[in-house]
Amino acid sequence: MSLSRDTLRGWGFTAPALIWTLAFFVVPFLVMAAMSLATLEGRTLVWGLHADNYRELLEKRYLWRAVVVSLQITLTVTAVSVALAYPLAWIIAFRVPKRWQRLALLLAILPFWTSYVVRSYAWLTVLSKEGVVNQVLLSLHLIAEPITLANTRFATVTGFVHFFTMLLTLTIFANLIQLPPNYRRAAMDLGASAFQTFRHVVLPLTLPGIVTGAFLTFVLCIGDYITPQILGGNTELTVPQVIMVQLGRRADFPLAAALAIVLMGLVTLAYLACARWLRLDRI
Amino acid sequence: MKALPWIFLAAMGVFIYLPVGALVLFSFQGGTLPVPPFNGPSFQWYADILGDRDLMAALGHSMLVGLGSSAVATLLGFTAAYGLARHHLPGTTLMRAMLIAPLCVSYLIIGLGLLIMVQRLGLGLGLSLGTAGIGHVVINLPLCFSIIYASMGAQQLSAERAARDLGATEAKVVLLITVPMLLPAIAAAFFLSFTLSWDEFIISFLLTRFDVTLPVEIWSMLRSGLSPRLNAIGSLVFLVSVVVVLAMETLLFGKRK
Amino acid sequence: MKKLTKALLAGTALTALTTGAQAADELNALVWCDHTDPALIQPFEAAHDVKVNLREYEGTGAALALLEQSRPGDWDVLVIDGIDVFRAVEAGILAPLPEEALPEDDFFPQVVLKANNAPDGTAYAVTEKFGYNTISYNADKVDEADMQDLSTVWSDKYAGKISIYDYYMPVMGLAAMADGIATADITADSLESIGKTLSTMRSHAISVADVVSAQTALATGEADIVVGGGEWLTAVLQAEQPELTWTIPDQGAVVWTQSIGVLAGSEKPDLAVEFVKYITSPEGQARLATSSCFWGMPANKLAADHLTPEQKEILRWDNQEDYLAKAQLYPAPDMDLDIEMQDLWLETLSQ
Repeated sequence: MSLSRDTLRGWGFTAPALIWTLAFFVVPFLVMAAMSLATLEGRTLVWGLHADNYRELLEKRYLWRAVVVSLQITLTVTAVSVALAYPLAWIIAFRVPKRWQRLALLLAILPFWTSYVVRSYAWLTVLSKEGVVNQVLLSLHLIAEPITLANTRFATVTGFVHFFTMLLTLTIFANLIQLPPNYRRAAMDLGASAFQTFRHVVLPLTLPGIVTGAFLTFVLCIGDYITPQILGGNTELTVPQVIMVQLGRRADFPLAAALAIVLMGLVTLAYLACARWLRLDRI
Repeated sequence: MKALPWIFLAAMGVFIYLPVGALVLFSFQGGTLPVPPFNGPSFQWYADILGDRDLMAALGHSMLVGLGSSAVATLLGFTAAYGLARHHLPGTTLMRAMLIAPLCVSYLIIGLGLLIMVQRLGLGLGLSLGTAGIGHVVINLPLCFSIIYASMGAQQLSAERAARDLGATEAKVVLLITVPMLLPAIAAAFFLSFTLSWDEFIISFLLTRFDVTLPVEIWSMLRSGLSPRLNAIGSLVFLVSVVVVLAMETLLFGKRK
Repeated sequence: MKKLTKALLAGTALTALTTGAQAADELNALVWCDHTDPALIQPFEAAHDVKVNLREYEGTGAALALLEQSRPGDWDVLVIDGIDVFRAVEAGILAPLPEEALPEDDFFPQVVLKANNAPDGTAYAVTEKFGYNTISYNADKVDEADMQDLSTVWSDKYAGKISIYDYYMPVMGLAAMADGIATADITADSLESIGKTLSTMRSHAISVADVVSAQTALATGEADIVVGGGEWLTAVLQAEQPELTWTIPDQGAVVWTQSIGVLAGSEKPDLAVEFVKYITSPEGQARLATSSCFWGMPANKLAADHLTPEQKEILRWDNQEDYLAKAQLYPAPDMDLDIEMQDLWLETLSQ
């Protein structure tokens, strides 16, 4: 009897969170999935099992092109962010003197807390033809006339990388700092080169941190509307931008829902690819 | 070679602070365009935004939604973590997976799902700040749960058991032993939730009606034209966030050393 | 279990926020951003002791969807694209407007647009503001004579100097006019030629820009020309950069109009009509014309008395007769054609 009372109480504690997640996450998701199978006749919504929206996705070039663009941008951003964040976290963890470490980390991620809408806008002004970057390059005589940086995929990627480098620096640093120093010393003592130590000792041990951070980057990046909308110049559209067009201009909820399901599919693929190393409950 | 790490560090510093620096600098712009040349300093844009009724109302709404949704998310995260860590429940792995699942889903999908549900099923919910708050709880609950769950270690367990052996009810144990011992984790979860809710755009954008949160108000300002006002409000928000982060850093982590 | 109780309480409080009851003296308006200027709204709120709740929206489709899913009485006033009034009337969401709310005798006759606002003879809406989607440019960087001919605007000469305003309707209207197709005559058959012109435009453009990116592009020298721009885009920049200006080319430009109406099912129809009367009154018109979000010509000529000479200069008050003679109305496609046009637009963007 005592076990079942224990179980009952456990349920009592866990249930509110589960119910909340069920009611405001699982149910909406199911409604959205059902919506993706509905269709619009004129402006009247017809529920049912229609594949129209998914067929449209294959037939209309701008729709599947958006999927390709989103994937390209997200993969580039994830790779570049990891490549920049890892050495940064490394230097902060192992080169910066202990007493300055927390300060250095805090400084490295402080701009993380600038308003997210404003941050993209700030990049737009920095990258514009009269912006700081062009001015500096001009005065250093590295370029003869201002180059186009804003309103390009480069600008979108820069805006994203800026944000995610900070996020990844944090997750990778947390991982590196937990590494017992003896491991590295032991490897070195046994005659391993610095590279070998990194390749065979440090990297495998920090992989979960990297993959977890990279996965979060993937999820947040591929679903983001603001950054490409402000910085990308609209000459190529990402999936979230196309979703917002369907919502804002046409009120085509079924197609928007189908696109969201596709987005969800991409995230699931990324999850499966990373699942081996993911430690989502250890962030 | 020795200097290489420091050069990299400096370069990253420039990269990380470039947009923030430009943002803050041009919030003091004298003219009406936030691009070089700089002719200032002028505080006119700060005066302008502080006198903007809608913007200040949005600031208040963001505070309200942030505090409310973080409180709920932390509370639900804590009770769930306690239930799963301290009681033997069938299907624990499944429940943990379900609680963490929203973390793996883009905010846009969560927002769109809620929007469709609210519009189609009604459920007495309309588009409002409260509905946006519900969405924020959904995105922050997994984080609160993981942070608190991860910090539920063995040391509290023995203290809890001792208290229970001395006759304390479970409610008393939770309130007098578990919560105080886990306070740093609970506070961290709360602060993190707050900063994420404070800055969240797409869910608020889709789910609010007349009263909007600050990021949504900033977005509509942005759509109506280029102006150093945006720099000013951006700098102000940054200042608020930095104060919160520094407070959290000193309060929570300062003591540990 | 106190925690749980508290959680439930907090949850309930949060839910209570979502269903907050409305006070008796509130007016709910679904509008464009120019109506959110306090300088426009506050005088009405003070005069009628009422709070006006404003919600902006982007496209007519979204507004109609929102209205159809609301309970009757949720909304009182709607601001809508002039060409879309008939869609709202077809959906049965607009109420007839009383004659006294229509001071149309004082309007510029070209924008009264009875065919739009009263599709079946009954007036459901009234024009409140208009302007042009045309060519905005930097006079220091381009040859102004070139701006008079649409085909040279997006010719090779200005490749990489053009930004396109991100709204398919007016830009496709301009493309049609450049091809010699009147906006009123656009059919599915015209799309091939329009698509080709759009494609040329797109290949020479550096960006497809919303209002702020178009302004940024002009102000920072990123672009020298904005196709689809107009007074609403450059008026706010002109004070500091007088070289940023606009013109109406020889082929003409597209006239945009916005209309205002009262929603059927409004629980405060009298107050809503008062609001429409205020907006179309000379004072309201002057404030709306110079709203902080964007400027545009007031439909009511009497607004002139409440505008300063400088404001009228920026609005180019004295050129209106000439401009209106040259300009054409927005294309007015039916729903199928509309979707085809949007698809063509998105298709061309992602080429």
